[in-house]
Amino acid sequence: MAMDLSISRFWRKKVSLYRLYGSRCKACGKVHYPPKKACPYCGSRDLELIELPKKGKLLSYTTIYAVPEGARLKSPIYFGLIDLGVTKVVAELTDVVDKNSLKEGIEVEAVLRKTQEDRDSGLIYYLLKFRPAMVHR
Amino acid sequence: MVVYIEGVGLTKVGRHYGLSIKDLAAQVAFNAIEQVGEPEGIDYLIFSSALAPLQDNQLDIAGYVSSYIGLRGIRALNVEAGEASGLAAISIAKSLLESHQADKVLVIGAEKLTEYVSSKAYKQLQMLYDSDLRSFYNIGFAADAALLMRLYMNTYDVDRETLSYWPALMHSNAKENPYAMLRFAIKPDRVSKSQILADPITLLDAYPIGDGAAAVIVSSKDVVKAPLAKVTAIESSTGLGEIELLDDPLIFDSLLNAYRKLSSIADVSQIDFMEIHDSFTIVAPIILESIGLAERGKAPELIAEGHFSSNGDKPLINPSGGLKARGHPIGATGVYQVAESALQISGEFPGIKVDNARRGLVISLNGLGSNSYVALLEGV
Repeated sequence: MAMDLSISRFWRKKVSLYRLYGSRCKACGKVHYPPKKACPYCGSRDLELIELPKKGKLLSYTTIYAVPEGARLKSPIYFGLIDLGVTKVVAELTDVVDKNSLKEGIEVEAVLRKTQEDRDSGLIYYLLKFRPAMVHR
Repeated sequence: MVVYIEGVGLTKVGRHYGLSIKDLAAQVAFNAIEQVGEPEGIDYLIFSSALAPLQDNQLDIAGYVSSYIGLRGIRALNVEAGEASGLAAISIAKSLLESHQADKVLVIGAEKLTEYVSSKAYKQLQMLYDSDLRSFYNIGFAADAALLMRLYMNTYDVDRETLSYWPALMHSNAKENPYAMLRFAIKPDRVSKSQILADPITLLDAYPIGDGAAAVIVSSKDVVKAPLAKVTAIESSTGLGEIELLDDPLIFDSLLNAYRKLSSIADVSQIDFMEIHDSFTIVAPIILESIGLAERGKAPELIAEGHFSSNGDKPLINPSGGLKARGHPIGATGVYQVAESALQISGEFPGIKVDNARRGLVISLNGLGSNSYVALLEGV
């Protein structure tokens, strides 16, 4: 269980969570993720949705042992800061077989993964996580 | 307009299983009120807490605390700005005095963090960061600071052991502070060997989970009788607050902006001491570098060499022990910082004393700077 989020919350975010859509500001050209209602840099509301690259470089990472309630079975959780070129994002890192494989500068790629489930017979929720790109394994 | 601090109340940060948030609030409020004599004349209660709805199942806590402590009828309001709530509350109190809506404001900061197990607190504290993306992940309260710490170490080529001097310094200061939660000294090399929370952050890099409360009475010039210190100016600014949005995450944009604003309305030179928001080890050097007190990437070295300590040059930083070792009861912290600073200036602080302290700076922020507050306190 993540933060006990509602179905509608996932549904509202589907474009950014599942397809990695960010926003590009037509005034200043900067890209941010997930999309806001105005550009966080210049304040312009003239934004367009763009699909972000699914591959990037790992800038920083952490292995989390102090995980919140409900996720202790999933400990440790890997989390990273990723440079996609047009912008940076943070995301959970997955498929980390050996934590020593996490290094600054390695290539990572987005994959759709489960994040939460409503008990045994309920809904299963997904989102994009990043894994070390195949070439590095 | 200058406003005056004339009464303070503090309680030791810790695990107060026997006291509710309202009990803690009452304790410090009564202490503060005792110093000004009577509760008569207090015309506003500003309460500061962030987690009361979650830990204490209480909304409008300011309203309920008013009658709990015998101030029924007073105007009251809770202020929430995450970890910056306390200094935001002082700022609102100052505004009320400036706009002549009040002459004497009781500010209480109180927070319980130990009503549930730590893992539940981690989940609640995750809300300090932008929920738009982060709440979909189970990352807890230390993930963002961990990413920032590794980025800092790599960018400036600073090693882990150099950074460990900060928590050691905070523990050594907190040892003297009767209100501190962690009153024991540690050697720097113990920090990296303690339990890992979110690497490279260890247990000794993070603020402890503890309850606490602090109160101050803020008065206008017209009614003040025996002030401890005056609050000359408070400024604040919002910022991007997210590591991925900042082109340069190693400077807190909101703090830089708030500090510039403060510098434009007040003289910020010759500061004797500061109380800064060192929630995690890494946040301290970035604060010092954001306000220009150290060159970029150089603060850890200065700290390790003994600058900012009680034997070093002024300003002395966090004589209280800081968030790291005094403790960080989220919404109460800013009020602790102001109360401790007022006592420092009046010469009555019961811990490490700053010689001839006349001017102190208080810095508080939420998360990695979604909101930053800066206050200048001076002797009367």
